[in-house]
Amino acid sequence: MADLIEGVNPTRMELLKLKTKVKLAKKGHRLLKEKRDALIMEFFNILEEAKGARRQAEARLREAFAALILAQASMGVVKVTQCAYAAKETPGIETYTRSIMGVRVPVLELQETSRSVIERGYGLADTTSQLDEAAARFEEALAAVVQLAEVERSIKLLAKEIESTKRRVNALENVLIPRLEATVKYIKMRLDEMERENFFKLKRIKAMIEAR
Amino acid sequence: MRISVIADFDTVVGFRLAGVKEGYVVESPEEALERLRELVRQEDVGLVIMTERLVDRIRSEAERLLEKRSFPLLVEIPDKAGPIEKKVDPMKELVRRAVGVDIKIE
Repeated sequence: MADLIEGVNPTRMELLKLKTKVKLAKKGHRLLKEKRDALIMEFFNILEEAKGARRQAEARLREAFAALILAQASMGVVKVTQCAYAAKETPGIETYTRSIMGVRVPVLELQETSRSVIERGYGLADTTSQLDEAAARFEEALAAVVQLAEVERSIKLLAKEIESTKRRVNALENVLIPRLEATVKYIKMRLDEMERENFFKLKRIKAMIEAR
Repeated sequence: MRISVIADFDTVVGFRLAGVKEGYVVESPEEALERLRELVRQEDVGLVIMTERLVDRIRSEAERLLEKRSFPLLVEIPDKAGPIEKKVDPMKELVRRAVGVDIKIE
């Protein structure tokens, strides 16, 4: 049997107060349980996305590295590095947050990464098409990696929220509600006991008065 | 926001070609962690791309560093040698903790 809440007086007022508390706790418990279930459903949806995202990012990177190695072979590592330094910078990412069941998850938005050969910024006279290929592959890989980052962070945040919701559900279910109910029962029994005691007292007094 | 790469030489060169200018070539996981610390201090870094080989060695420190903030995001990518076998798969671990059962992803 669960512990009682300490320092409660067995009075009718307390009993009424406790009864509303039990009702509230039960309502909260039900809502949290619903939240947990909904979160888990969302979690699985995003998990599906994440699987694809990681595979895709890895495949894109594999292609990109293969292309880079070819470029280095055809132009030399030093020249490729020089071109990499000469390449124009992308504008960076825009970041927002959106909310899934009250969990704020990030949204990353990358401006169009694919550029034409001329836009990239390195000279065309002494570079090979392998370099263009490598740059194009890495631009694709970058987009996939940004997507991956967003999805994986969302999963992490959702998992954290699920964990804490689960903990709260369990705390209510296994600790708070049994404790409240045990206390309600205790007060009821005490009140009944006091009533019987009183009743018996009156009987005794009545008997004593009549005996006189 | 800025994108930043902390990785080996080839990865940094590759992403430079794609237009990510901020690349740091690091030799050791410790150096990578130091760089990451610096980047976290700057407010306008949105995404840090790091190779799995580095992240796997400094995972707990890196996670502590990023725990309380929404940015930057850290993403691990395989380097030119391909994906590595990790001691614990962080995604799998997350799923196990959240749902309570092991679910095979992949």
